[in-house]
Amino acid sequence: MTLLAVLSHLNRADGSATYTHNGYAIIGAVNGPIEVQRRDEMPEEATVEVNIRLAVGIGSPKERHLESLVHNTLRSIILTRSIPRTLVQITLQVTSLPEEEAASGVDSACTLLPHLLHTALLALLSASIPLSTALTSVVIAVPASASSKAGTTMLSPTAKELLRAKPIRATHVFAFSGNRKLLLSQSMGVFAYDEWGEACEMAEDVCCRDEGGVGLGEDMEVKGGQGNLEEWLRSVVQKKVEMEQRWRVAT
Amino acid sequence: MASANTATSTPALSFPRPIFAAISPHSFLQAHLSNPTAPNKAFRANGRSAHEFRTPGIKTGALTHCHGSAVVRVGNTSVVCGVRGEILRAEDIADPPSSTPDTGNEVHEDGGDDELDSLRLLVPNLELNTGSTPSNIPGSAPSSTAQTLITRIRSLLLSTRILRARDLRIVYTPPPATPDEVPDRQVKAYWTLYVDIMFISLDGNAFDSAWLAVLAALRDTRLPKAFFDQEMETILCSDIPSEAAPLKLRGCPVASTFAVFDGWKDGDATEGTEDWVLSDPDAFEEGVCQESVCVVVDCVGGRGSGQEQIRRIEKSGGGVVGREEMRGLVKRSVDRWTICEGVLKGVGSA
Repeated sequence: MTLLAVLSHLNRADGSATYTHNGYAIIGAVNGPIEVQRRDEMPEEATVEVNIRLAVGIGSPKERHLESLVHNTLRSIILTRSIPRTLVQITLQVTSLPEEEAASGVDSACTLLPHLLHTALLALLSASIPLSTALTSVVIAVPASASSKAGTTMLSPTAKELLRAKPIRATHVFAFSGNRKLLLSQSMGVFAYDEWGEACEMAEDVCCRDEGGVGLGEDMEVKGGQGNLEEWLRSVVQKKVEMEQRWRVAT
Repeated sequence: MASANTATSTPALSFPRPIFAAISPHSFLQAHLSNPTAPNKAFRANGRSAHEFRTPGIKTGALTHCHGSAVVRVGNTSVVCGVRGEILRAEDIADPPSSTPDTGNEVHEDGGDDELDSLRLLVPNLELNTGSTPSNIPGSAPSSTAQTLITRIRSLLLSTRILRARDLRIVYTPPPATPDEVPDRQVKAYWTLYVDIMFISLDGNAFDSAWLAVLAALRDTRLPKAFFDQEMETILCSDIPSEAAPLKLRGCPVASTFAVFDGWKDGDATEGTEDWVLSDPDAFEEGVCQESVCVVVDCVGGRGSGQEQIRRIEKSGGGVVGREEMRGLVKRSVDRWTICEGVLKGVGSA
């Protein structure tokens, strides 16, 4: 299961991206900077609006909660002060969820959130909205120690793995900025501070590029080349830039 | 115009406090917090120090038509919460859960609570009263703030597993046909708890006070004894008050919210900017701060070892609070837990 990203494929939106990972597929579209409604206008900042549409059914308070989380996180990385009195509108349409998602017993807000954040970021990159930094995000699940694998921490588990490892004791979602700052943390279940710290460190290793040059360990290889999220993000951006610079390179 | 010029001998740009706060809230708060003469004695605009919470005041049993209720007041935030139980008959459930009902022993203490979620036995609802906060427009659909709050409360109610499904089951044991036959217990109905939260006034930190109100109301809840009547083939409730039973709650998780105030970075900032993590922010501070952290701790579970359990960490909106800062925040939340637990206990005995 690899991360798959297609950028700028919707020609009417200012920026767009489709992101596929572990059975989740999300289309993101960004319009901005555009004119803002008088009511939402802020004199010194841009307004960020996030809309999340589900794969099935109409929106519920759960989506509003996800929207506010994505909104708060993106607002901290978009340079809103450089485009004041405008609106950046982000629409995220979930197109498919893994089949086992509902049965996994984990709050769907947790498992979906990293994918939403990645999609939104890619769409923002595609729309060339000024950003202060990039972000990467990962979900970590800790099964109850009674399970067969003796409480091994699962990094970015698939819905199937979650179903197998039921019951889950704690789930954590972390998002890190490009300069290794913790942007978002959503943890639920039962855990101690030290466990949270360990999970956080683990997430940081995956999300941020290793500065020391130490390998990421064998378990990452087993995961099927998911590798480092920041490196993946860089490769996506590199491809985008190459695409845009074709006219210069072509001779 | 002329009279104004003659009357003022003070420098031209000098505002009274409320106007300064309205024009430039960020620098107003920063001016309060960065006290150059006594850096560790800085106060926020509301007179509290950065680590100071507001003391909660709780009254329970105020609503007579509810099975449990509580009024919580934290500073200028006041919340009413009422818990009402209604009976959901098992025959009305389209897809009843197949799990066997508890056999009465304590072995299944920790399992089998899936019904709470799958049958939606907990229905929290939240309302912002007209005039509770200036940003609340009456007559419109619930704002996204209200919807976010209610999602967080529902999710916390379920993920902390504070309620036991066995408290909400109405079990019927048919009389045995033969003396040595083991009777099979049937779940005839469930109690559905409607948890209604109403903000009378909202001055910041809505989640903590709402959660405290829910907790106090659930602790106050006494459900009448309900039983299945064989002759009438229906569920009846006993009207004897002494037979009403309180809910047995698991633990006592308490939420603490912090707002992160980051000092101005642009302008003529010469020395390193400073960030403040403010406990229990009020509405003014929430408007200024973008990053917020919510920690839910419960110290009941690990009382022997004195080790606290974290039930939830929610942090979003910025990158100031990292791993080390979080350690301090967990510590502050544990202190907060002690205070809130004391207040909740005091309510129970009164």
